[in-house]
Amino acid sequence: MIFNSLNFAIFLPIVFLLYWFATKGNLRFQNILLLVSSYFFYACWDWRFMFLLIFSTLLDYYTGIKIYETTNIRKKKFWLWLSIGINLGFLGVFKYYNFFAASFADGLSLLGCKANLFSLQVILPVGISFYTFHGLSYVIDIYKNQIKPERNFIDYSVFVSFFPLLVAGPIERATHLLPQILKKREFDYSKALDGMRQILWGLFKKIVIADNCAVYANTIFNNSADYSGSTLVLGALFFTFQIYCDFSGYSDIALGTARLFGIDLLRNFAFPYFSRDIAEFWRRWHISLSSWFKDYLYIPLGGSKGGMWMKIRNTFIIFLVSGFWHGANWTFIIWGFLNALYIMPSIVLNTHRNNLDIVAKGKYLPTLKDFFAIGITFSLTVFAWIFFRANNVTHAFHYISEIASPSLFSIPYFKDGSLSLLTIILVFLFQIVEWLGRESQYAIQHLFNKNRIIRWGFYYLIIVLIFVFAGSNQQFIYFQF
Amino acid sequence: MKKFLLTGFIFLLPIILTSYFVDLLISKNLKKSNSYAQKEYSTWNAIVDGKLNSEILIYGSSRAWTHFDTKIIEDSLKQRTYNLGIDGSAFKLQNLRHVLALKNNTKPKLIIYSVDAWTIQEGNLYNSDQFLPYMLWDKNFFNYTSKYEGFNYFDYKIPLIRYYGKFEAIKTAIQMIISPNNNIVERIKGYQGQTKPWNNDFENAKNSITKFVIKSDKHIVELFDNYLKECKEQNIEVILVYSPIFIEGQEFLQNQKQVINTFEILAKNNDFLFMNFSKDEICFDKKYFYNSTHLNKTGAELFTKKLCNQMKNISTKEQFGAITPSVQNRLYDILYKK
Repeated sequence: MIFNSLNFAIFLPIVFLLYWFATKGNLRFQNILLLVSSYFFYACWDWRFMFLLIFSTLLDYYTGIKIYETTNIRKKKFWLWLSIGINLGFLGVFKYYNFFAASFADGLSLLGCKANLFSLQVILPVGISFYTFHGLSYVIDIYKNQIKPERNFIDYSVFVSFFPLLVAGPIERATHLLPQILKKREFDYSKALDGMRQILWGLFKKIVIADNCAVYANTIFNNSADYSGSTLVLGALFFTFQIYCDFSGYSDIALGTARLFGIDLLRNFAFPYFSRDIAEFWRRWHISLSSWFKDYLYIPLGGSKGGMWMKIRNTFIIFLVSGFWHGANWTFIIWGFLNALYIMPSIVLNTHRNNLDIVAKGKYLPTLKDFFAIGITFSLTVFAWIFFRANNVTHAFHYISEIASPSLFSIPYFKDGSLSLLTIILVFLFQIVEWLGRESQYAIQHLFNKNRIIRWGFYYLIIVLIFVFAGSNQQFIYFQF
Repeated sequence: MKKFLLTGFIFLLPIILTSYFVDLLISKNLKKSNSYAQKEYSTWNAIVDGKLNSEILIYGSSRAWTHFDTKIIEDSLKQRTYNLGIDGSAFKLQNLRHVLALKNNTKPKLIIYSVDAWTIQEGNLYNSDQFLPYMLWDKNFFNYTSKYEGFNYFDYKIPLIRYYGKFEAIKTAIQMIISPNNNIVERIKGYQGQTKPWNNDFENAKNSITKFVIKSDKHIVELFDNYLKECKEQNIEVILVYSPIFIEGQEFLQNQKQVINTFEILAKNNDFLFMNFSKDEICFDKKYFYNSTHLNKTGAELFTKKLCNQMKNISTKEQFGAITPSVQNRLYDILYKK
């Protein structure tokens, strides 16, 4: 069941009405309903993986209590590493086994040895990377004495499986989400309205922008040898907007949906394409994952406390791991490496915290300096996305070498002549709305706030655009991670 | 909470109120298009609006609408003819046209049924956009198309839902409003000769598989048999025609004999005529085809002339195997008695 499906359009109002009416505000019933709905939601993907989800929940629930109850430090460590080992073990088998087996066999063949390693025909359980990290943060926080374990299994299970965030995040923290699950929730009119608005904007991003950009991005990337350098640049741009609107659209729907149930999830995107440097970009892109890596990898590795070289080493490590988290492919690792390279000058020069505020705050236009800084950051990001999108490393290098040819200066065209000017116009208009709304949590949060008729007219326009341009109905990209 | 639900209701009210009229506007204009949805709308309109006015109806798949030239049949047999061939279809969807044709039009005297291995398959909802303007609240469209993958229950019951994401369909409807005259008619009474050159579909298929077997679906064969019986009860004469297939294509289709045999038996059991053109000389000349199963315009015209001549020459029994006197008499009555 995906967010942009008819099934979800039926599922959500039913759960919403039951949640606020049938439970009569009883927290226990509300949480039971959320858990049952979440398991139903997940089972709609593939009921067999329910067992994995329940096992992972049980594991972290139990080890969390054990870590807390044990006073012996060695035993604490044992339970912690048991949880980490099993969680990452599952992730390793389902997500990375084939990659390691193939890479190992390739490595041996370079040394003249032949190895026939098993390759597993496994389907990646949807959301495994997300709920694994979710659970890991919980046990690590208990180990670090930052939180107490949750004894109520249902409440803990809701924390792990809450359906808006179950399959593609945001990756929540127990310190943020658990207290909300344990607290009595009253219906809040403005919160629910805001949730609906964010869902609408998320659907627009996904259905109108991402899915339509995907058509052209896929065509160009899948037939890159047939296109001119300028068309390939356009393909990379299409993918740039596809991945942003796909993932941030998903996050908007997740946040909006959670808000309908009186729960606030962590913000995941903050207009990253208006960033003035790469460090700022990473503070605004997939925020819940970046902060996860910072808290549970970068800082435990020593962070920036061990001097410049430690800082450089740790930065490279988290970017490489972040790339690898996205999937078992060298393209993701190179993408991570590139981003580490991009951010390095600001790390070395200690300028990575220069741009903490919102660009051109309170103004309509940025300064010329900011404009160029945004342009350069955006271009670097687009270049890195080529690796992220390419089928393999060779494909990525071919793609780039084709761009760097005289045909870069030709007019972009498609073989079938179907270059969608309309999609480009829509992306352009979308960027204007994003710019206007960049000081809000999401672009249309406060747009036309003072005039209800204009505001509603704008929402109707969005609905019409969604209705008309809902074309290819593509899967959310981040479901594969 | 009440305030939230009320606000939501007020917000949705204009959408709910206008949805039917917008649906009507789109449907009404979309079905005017002679080019969208593989040019099927003109045929559907004639069926649904009761404008077939024909003594002879032709049924079948794309092999029907590209092979049976209605003008040649009308000129030759002096009977008004409409070609109801439906692209990419099997018997079930062809039968939808039959049911609606009988419901909304005067009964035909003769049905020429273009049959082949694909007729007696379950089929799928190929070119599903052809149903868009007609399917809302229509029992027949629901019964015949809802079991296939393509539409969900709400598409048939709630206005506008089925147009969700149908950008091209909506665009076409708007074009029909803005410039209704820019709408070239290409299918004449359901028929359109194809001037395409030979394409490589067949060569590509041969490269990927060496032989091709189409197993007939027993259930569909039964349905087809029932259909023939119903025609018999309603005094509608039926001729089953196995129109030409390029000879290399026939060799590729491993169980063609079995398929032909099925139709021979069906025709015989119901005392109808089966005309088999699988060994006609047209089949041996590539110049009459644009792919292995479809005749081009030249091939279709030649085939239709041959078909008409053979129908007229009903006394040459040997040519089509056992023709009973009753078939001959009935055909004679249709063609020559006013």
